[in-house]
Amino acid sequence: MTYPRIRNPRRAGALLAAALLLTTTACTSGNHNTGPDPSLAAAVHVTGPLCDALPTGSEPGNPTALAGLPAGEALTWMPTLTTFEAAVRTSGVLDEHGTDGLTLLAPTDDAFVKKFSDDTWDTLMTRDHEKLRTLVKAHLIAGTHSLDQLAAAGTTTTLDGTTLTVTRTGDTTRFADTADAVCADYQAKGTRIHIINAVLGPLPTTADGTGHRAH
Amino acid sequence: MRRHRAVLIALSTLLAASLATIATPANAQAAEPNQVTNLTVRQGDGYATLAWKPVEGATDYQIERTPVDAAGNPTGTPTVVGIWRPNRQINQESPTFADAGFNPGDRFQWRVRARIGTAEQPYSEPVADTTTAPWGDPNVPGQQLRTQWETTHAAQYTSDTNEYAYTAAIDELSDRVRVVEIGRTVRDRPINMFVIGYPTPPATPEAVAATSPVAVNCNVHGNEPGDREACLIMARQLAFSTDQRVIDLLSHTTVLIIPTINGDGRAANTRGNSTGQDLNRDYSLIRQPETAAYVKMVRDYRPVAGYDGHEYGNSRAGDLPMLPPRHQNVAQPIFDESMDMIEGHMYREGAQDGWWPCPYGCEGGGSVGLGEETILRNTLGLKNVVNSLLELRSSGGQTRPDEGNTANNRRRKTFSALWTFQQFLDYHRANLTDITQARAEGITLQASNTGRLVFRGSRPIPAHPAPHPGDSPPPVDAPRPELILDNAPCAYLLTEEQYHGARTDGPGGVGATVAERIAAHGWKVIKTANGYYVPLNQPERGLIPLLLDGQGVEKLTDGQRIYPTLTGRHTGPLTITGFACLDDATVTGPVTVRPGAALVATGTTFTGPVNASGAAGVMLADSKVTGPVRVTGTTDAVSLIDLTVTGPVDLSANRTGTAPLLVGNTVTGPLACAGNTTAPSNLEVSNRVSGPRAGQCATL
Ligand SMILES: [Zn+2]
Repeated sequence: MTYPRIRNPRRAGALLAAALLLTTTACTSGNHNTGPDPSLAAAVHVTGPLCDALPTGSEPGNPTALAGLPAGEALTWMPTLTTFEAAVRTSGVLDEHGTDGLTLLAPTDDAFVKKFSDDTWDTLMTRDHEKLRTLVKAHLIAGTHSLDQLAAAGTTTTLDGTTLTVTRTGDTTRFADTADAVCADYQAKGTRIHIINAVLGPLPTTADGTGHRAH
Repeated sequence: MRRHRAVLIALSTLLAASLATIATPANAQAAEPNQVTNLTVRQGDGYATLAWKPVEGATDYQIERTPVDAAGNPTGTPTVVGIWRPNRQINQESPTFADAGFNPGDRFQWRVRARIGTAEQPYSEPVADTTTAPWGDPNVPGQQLRTQWETTHAAQYTSDTNEYAYTAAIDELSDRVRVVEIGRTVRDRPINMFVIGYPTPPATPEAVAATSPVAVNCNVHGNEPGDREACLIMARQLAFSTDQRVIDLLSHTTVLIIPTINGDGRAANTRGNSTGQDLNRDYSLIRQPETAAYVKMVRDYRPVAGYDGHEYGNSRAGDLPMLPPRHQNVAQPIFDESMDMIEGHMYREGAQDGWWPCPYGCEGGGSVGLGEETILRNTLGLKNVVNSLLELRSSGGQTRPDEGNTANNRRRKTFSALWTFQQFLDYHRANLTDITQARAEGITLQASNTGRLVFRGSRPIPAHPAPHPGDSPPPVDAPRPELILDNAPCAYLLTEEQYHGARTDGPGGVGATVAERIAAHGWKVIKTANGYYVPLNQPERGLIPLLLDGQGVEKLTDGQRIYPTLTGRHTGPLTITGFACLDDATVTGPVTVRPGAALVATGTTFTGPVNASGAAGVMLADSKVTGPVRVTGTTDAVSLIDLTVTGPVDLSANRTGTAPLLVGNTVTGPLACAGNTTAPSNLEVSNRVSGPRAGQCATL
C-alpha cells in the first residue's frame, strides 16, 4: 500500500476533491455512513447482556445496518472488537476463506486484555503471524450458525481443528466451558458473529492482571 | 475567570446558549435536610460541568443524568453517571463534576445527591440543558468537516485514510494551517504535522521556532487512540474558529499537532510500531523512523512546551493522570515549570471545570512514571521542553459507572483530552514568560556542564495531604548509587567505527549510524585527528551521556570519557593544537586556536583575546572573556553560551553544518556575524549586547 504525500495540498488533485466531497456530503445531510441502506435488509435482532452497550436502534453500526456488509467490514463497526478486528485483518484468514458461510466467535477487547500482555500481543501482531493465524482460526467455524443452532448441536469444530463444547444454562451459552456469548447473532454477508467474553484457542495466558503498564 | 469564560466561547457553536449557566428554578421548594442545592450546569465541548453547594458531612456525591425532550419529559432512564469524591479537586468547598460520554448535542436533565457513608440523601432539584453539538457550523466551509469518529458517533475510530483526507481538507481550507510531512513510518505511512498560526503559520521551521511553539503528540501507542481524536477536533477548531481566544492564541505562538506518530501501530491496534518496538521507549535511541522524525522535528521547530497523549489501564486513577519530566538530568527549572503547569494550572482549572487531573500512578498505580530517558516526557525535558505525559483513564472506573457502553467511554476520554490540550494552550499563552525563562535557565545550566550526572533515576513528586488530586504520587525512583557519576567528563570521544560504523538496531536489522542519530538530536561534534568529540557544554548535556557513556542504561555506544586538559591558572600565551578542554581555569594571556584544533571551555576566565581561525571547533560556556573574541573559518562547531565578554565578538566565515550558537551572552562591545555558511542562532535566548549588532547577528 502506498500513501500520497500532501506536502503541496493546494496542488493536490483528485484525492482532495474526493475527500471534500465525502466530508461535505456526510456532514451537511445530517446522515451517517452506516453502510448499505438498512431498509433493504430485514431487522436483525441480537441477544445478550452486552448488546445494550453497543450501537442500537438507528445509531451508526446498529445490527441491521451491518447485515449486508462483508464480515471484515462489519467487525469495524463493533466498538468492543477493536483487537479482534485488527487480528482478523492482520492474519488474512477471512480473505483465504472465500465466500463460503462462516461463523465468528469474536472475543471482546476486555477478553484480550485479560488474556495477553501488551508485549505478547504486539509480538503476535508483528512477528508471530503463524500463531496469530492459529489464534484467529480458533474463533472461526465453517458455515453460518445461529447461537441456537450451535447450542442445539452441543459441539462445534473451529477452523483450527478444535472441537468445542457448547452448553446452554438458562440464558447463557458457553463455549469450551470458558467463553460466554455476550451479544450473539450479528449478521454480515454470509456470516454470523457472536461476541464472546473470553479468548479461545491454545495460546497461554500472559496477562498478569495486576500491573498497569507504564506509558 | 477570564480564561474560563474564553474557553467556553471557543468551544461552543451557539454562543448565547453556552454562555448561560443553567440553574435550578428560583422558585424551588426549601431544601430538605442534606439535600444538594444550587445545582448549576455549564456546557463545554463534549462535557457538562455540574456545580453545587456542598452538603455538610457528605462522603461523596452521585450525579444522575436523564435524557429529556424539549418539553423536559424524560425520553430514557435516569442513570447515575458520576461519583464525585473528595480527592477529585483542590478546593472541596466548591464541588464540580465534568459529566461526559453523552452524545454531544443531546438534551438532558441532571440531579445530584450526597451520600453520608453509604446513606443516600435527597436529590437536588433537577437542571435541564441541551449539550453543545460537535464543534463547527455545518454550513460554514471548514467548520463543517467531521472526522470518522464524529460521524460514526464514536463507533469507529478515524482510520488512516480518513485522517489523511480530513487533514488535507483542513490544509486546503484554512490559511492558518500548513500540514507538513515530518517523516514516514516503517510501513511508509506519512507522519503529518499540523503547523497552525494566525493569520498564517510562519514559513520555515526556524521562523516557527522564533514563536516559541507548543507541540502536542497525540498517538504514540497505537492501541490508545482517544487523544488522537481530540487532536483532530482541536486542529479543526484552531483552523476555523472565529473566536477571539483562538485568534489571540494563534497570534502569539504556533501550534504543532502530530496526530499519529505511530500510524502502523494505530492501524493494527498495537502498542508498538510494526516491528513491535514500543516507540515511547525509543525517543533517545531513535532506532525507528517514527521517533527519529519526531526528534528531528524538535530540533528544527524547537517547541518550548509539549503534551504527549496516552490511555491508562488503572481504573482507580483520576480522569487525567499527568507527569512531568522526572529524570534527574533534566534541568531543575524545566522540571519546576512542568510541575507548575500540572499542579498550578491543570489542578486549578480541573477544579473549575470538573475534570480530575492527578499525578500519574495515582491510587495504587504501581511502578509507573519513572525516569527512563527513552520516554518522550523525559527526552523532551532533557531537550529543555516544559512538558507532561497525559493519560486518559481507560475504563470508567468507580467514578464513572455508565461507561460499559463503549461510545460513552470513548467520548469521555476524547473530550477530556480535548479539554486538557485546550487548557495547555491557555497555560502557554498565560505563562510564556515563565516558560521561556525556564528554558533559558535550563539551556545555560546544561551548557555549564556542572553538577553530577545520573544515568537513570527520577526527581521525587511530592505528595499533597489527602484528600487532594496529588495525594498519591508515583514511586520515588531515586537513582541507584552505581548510576550516579559525580565527576562529569568534558566530552565523549568516539572512534571512526563508533561514529560511522554500520548498526543493526533498526527495522530489518538496519540502524542509522551514531553520526546520523547525533545529528538528529542536533548535538555539536568536533572532529580532530583523534576522532569525534561530543562536548558536554551543550544545551542537551543531560542526554548526551545517557547515549554515549559506557555506564548508560540504554546507550548507543561506549564513548571515551575525556576530562579537562587544563584547570587552574595559566599565565602567558596559550596556543591550542589538538583538543583542549578548559574547566574552572583562569587564563591570562592571548589564546590562539590553531587550524584544525578545538577549544572547549566552561567556568573559565580569559583575560586576553580569544582568536580562532580555521579551528575545528570553538565551544565556550559559562565563562568570562576580557578582550575580543574572534572565531572565523571554523569547520565543525561554534557555540558561545552564557558568556560575559568585555570586547567585540566576531563570528565570520564559519563553515559549520550546524548553526553557530550565540545564546544568552552578555557582550559589552559590538557583535558582528558575516558570511557564516549556516546563520547563527540564539535558540530564542537573546543576547545582551551593548554595542551594535551587525550582519547575521543583527536580531540575536
Ligand atoms: Zn501509552
